[in-house]
Amino acid sequence: MSEEEKKRKEKESSAGEEKGKFIIERRYVDDSRIIEPKKLELGGIDMSGRWGTLVLPRTLEDFDTEIYRDVEKLPRGGNIGKCWQCGNCTAVCPVAHAHSEFNPRYLIHIVKMGYTSEIKKHHEAVYLCSGCGLCSAACPKGVDPQGVMIAMSIAFKAHESELTE
Amino acid sequence: MADGGVVQLGKDEELELGKEDAKLLETLSSQRKAKFAFGTTEDYLKMLERMKELEKKGEIIVHHVTDDYDPVGVRTLSGRVKKIPTRETWQHKSCGQCGHIPGYISAFYWIMSELGVSYVDDTNQTSCTAWNYYGSGTSNPVALSAVFLRNMHAAYERNAYPLIHCGTSYGDYKECRYLVVMNRDIRERVRAILKKVDRELVIPEELVHYSEWLHVMRQEVAARRKFDMSGVKVAVHAACHTYKLMAEDYTYDENILGGRRPAPTSSIALALGSQLLDYSNWYDCCGFGFRHILTEREIARSFAYFRKIRPIVRETHADVLITHDTGCVTTLDKSQVVPLAQGYRETIPVISDSQFAALAMGAHPFIVCQLQWHIADWKPLLAKMGIDWQAAYEEYKSYLDKVKGGMKPAFIRSPPRHLQPRPHTKAFRVDEPVMS
Amino acid sequence: MKAPDNPVLVIGAGPAGLQAAKDVAEFGVPVLLVERRKELGGAPIRWSYHTLAPDFRPTEEVMGPLIDFCQSNKNVTVMKGCIVDGYSGRPGDFHVRIKDETTKNITEKVVSSIIVATGFEHFDARVDPRYGYGRMPNVIGINELEIMLKQGRVVGHDGKPPKRVAFIFCVGSRDRSTNPWCCTVCCGVSIKQGIEVKQLLPDSQVYMIYMDIRTIGLWEKLYWESMEKYGINFIRGRVGEVYYTGEKLLVKGEDTLVRGPFEVLFDMVVLAVGIEPGPGTKQAAGALSLSLNEYGFLAPKIPNVHFDSGKEGIFLAGACVAPMSVEEALSEGSAAAMQAVKLGSRLMQKVPV
Repeated sequence: MSEEEKKRKEKESSAGEEKGKFIIERRYVDDSRIIEPKKLELGGIDMSGRWGTLVLPRTLEDFDTEIYRDVEKLPRGGNIGKCWQCGNCTAVCPVAHAHSEFNPRYLIHIVKMGYTSEIKKHHEAVYLCSGCGLCSAACPKGVDPQGVMIAMSIAFKAHESELTE
Repeated sequence: MADGGVVQLGKDEELELGKEDAKLLETLSSQRKAKFAFGTTEDYLKMLERMKELEKKGEIIVHHVTDDYDPVGVRTLSGRVKKIPTRETWQHKSCGQCGHIPGYISAFYWIMSELGVSYVDDTNQTSCTAWNYYGSGTSNPVALSAVFLRNMHAAYERNAYPLIHCGTSYGDYKECRYLVVMNRDIRERVRAILKKVDRELVIPEELVHYSEWLHVMRQEVAARRKFDMSGVKVAVHAACHTYKLMAEDYTYDENILGGRRPAPTSSIALALGSQLLDYSNWYDCCGFGFRHILTEREIARSFAYFRKIRPIVRETHADVLITHDTGCVTTLDKSQVVPLAQGYRETIPVISDSQFAALAMGAHPFIVCQLQWHIADWKPLLAKMGIDWQAAYEEYKSYLDKVKGGMKPAFIRSPPRHLQPRPHTKAFRVDEPVMS
Repeated sequence: MKAPDNPVLVIGAGPAGLQAAKDVAEFGVPVLLVERRKELGGAPIRWSYHTLAPDFRPTEEVMGPLIDFCQSNKNVTVMKGCIVDGYSGRPGDFHVRIKDETTKNITEKVVSSIIVATGFEHFDARVDPRYGYGRMPNVIGINELEIMLKQGRVVGHDGKPPKRVAFIFCVGSRDRSTNPWCCTVCCGVSIKQGIEVKQLLPDSQVYMIYMDIRTIGLWEKLYWESMEKYGINFIRGRVGEVYYTGEKLLVKGEDTLVRGPFEVLFDMVVLAVGIEPGPGTKQAAGALSLSLNEYGFLAPKIPNVHFDSGKEGIFLAGACVAPMSVEEALSEGSAAAMQAVKLGSRLMQKVPV
């Protein structure tokens, strides 16, 4: 391991410690689900610290298709509705081999279904797309995933405030 | 060791469980698991038949629910009628109950005393040791079964019928009974252990949870109701270990929630005239989950609030959530503190069915039901029931002052017993302190 | 040799039975058509199928001519409300007992061969209680939705059209605790119905909750169109529980592509109930000493050749052999008819053995 890598690793692990560091099985819990107020008080009693943490459930509670409708209206986004989740796009995607967060099939699915909680977690991954277009060549339904990624990035930008709240 | 073969019990016999034993347990549990979706009722009925055969052959003593115990028949999920003893019961207490929710057990004893029903509160009872049942905390089937039968024998020699307070003990005992009856190897090993502590292999004909007792006594309880409960909206949480372990042995009644959910606890709420409300996460765990409360407290606490309490409040707007197990009351009640501090305002008092029934019968909310130990606000519930909680609290405070001043604390005692103990083993000791 | 003009007995007047009767009659051979129910047409008529997959053809267009033919053709004798109670004899000279189910009268007939086309039943979703069918309002089967579609009025129990509809696939199919086989048609039928719901209620949202999509052969077109033209959504996963909140249906399931549980409110839940052998098939098997397979369908001699019952002179056709679509059942009826006519000709020694 190079010095640089070591440094990066250390930095990452300490960054990971920031939130819910005392949770024994911490790796099972996404950052976004942990609520950990710095100061917590009830009836004049200080409850700050590890015993005041809550973890939100991960249940998908609704279909909110607003972003999906926007993607559909944007140039090259119109065919998103044709996707049937076969995974041809991710199979040929060179970026997916490098980044676990970038999965064009998955991004299309969560947008199409309107799973806002998942979009909040993964929307930034859309910018990892290299725009090579292999996916659009491989897609059996003519979804044009490469174009959909571009449309999505525009839609995500437009909804930025609610996605990063 | 062949499955079902008799173990030779020699002088240098080892009771430590080795690889073979682990293998045996694995085989047993996988056999059960394989049948789980299809044959549990059959297996369970077969086990009860086998118990009769073993009794006939003199291999075991069966502690029958005789007329001395004044039994009432209830229908179980399997369709079989189960006999619930109503008096002369041996109170098998729960580890967490006394510590976390003291009002749980005192309310229950109070009800029995009010109804003039005798019981035995034996100090000679051990934990069932099934704590952390699905985690890694339990020992092994032989040890668990030996502890189970040790307690059952303690009840037998007091000539009182075991009534189990803890959902986990109840579920664990039902499973242990299955193992002991159906597997000769485990049975013989347990017999050897019991012999060492001078006890015999006594298996109860029925394993009975206290919620089943309240279920069969609900009309008697309702007849002594002091407050009008018709305005009280009740949600019920059933404890996983009472109705999901050996599910076919728990009480169901087609007149209570259409027989789709277990009858006890719901039935007492209905008998007292309160409004019983349903909610969508009814079947879900309270959040205790055993391994989760130990290793993922944040998850247990959050689950209890976000997946049980909040949906219950939103869907039912109930005044109270009643349940019938230690872990459930503790988790559902105590887990409301942090959300409250964080600003989640939806809250609901959580008490046991015994506390609920005792309150309705006029028990003291603090001296008997000990609501002062409960976190979620119970004041609106008491007000709705028509209980002057402020006056009761003043009474409680002066009671405490008197105790501080040297008064003997109140103690709930059983009405006189009708049955004589059967002290036929050396292990038997009388509860009363020996004069020196 | 026995009289060649003995009629061919057809048991069951659904798509397979009617097609068999028609084909045999058109050869000039008399047909005795025995139907247990009081009307002809089998499942598509009994459950008022609105249209048939894959091209939305009104059921009457397919079934009407067959029913009309059998009711009016002089070669076809129809006995409604009757079952075949037993038989004896040999090919060309079977003696069958036909029982009128109302009067209990028994008629003896001599027939040359027998075609069994006793069809299927829809799975009774009450058997799988997790979906709340029979207990909760607005949880219906595809057979019931078909009736609503025929009436052109898809509404909940409050008379209002649903805004969000979930179809749950494989109800009573591909499940060891109910029926372990695939019903082969419910994917296509559900998707067809989803499209019809969207045509009727364009503002509604339709979700298909599926395990696998099995729109076999050319039925695949339905799947593509439903997504691309009608915006129907597909969720891969299963449903664990449906809960009625007093207003809406809370559907609890997993989206296996997200690997996470969902709990979403719907106005209507449609169960794609499977196909299973009905009591008619069991009764016919008993009366004719035919063997049933492990699932209770009639067992052909070898699974690849449906029409061959393994008993000379007795032929099988349609959904009593295996789950199948109307189009397949029609072909099977035709194939069985060919076998019956072929046997008749052989018995008359027109065709060398």
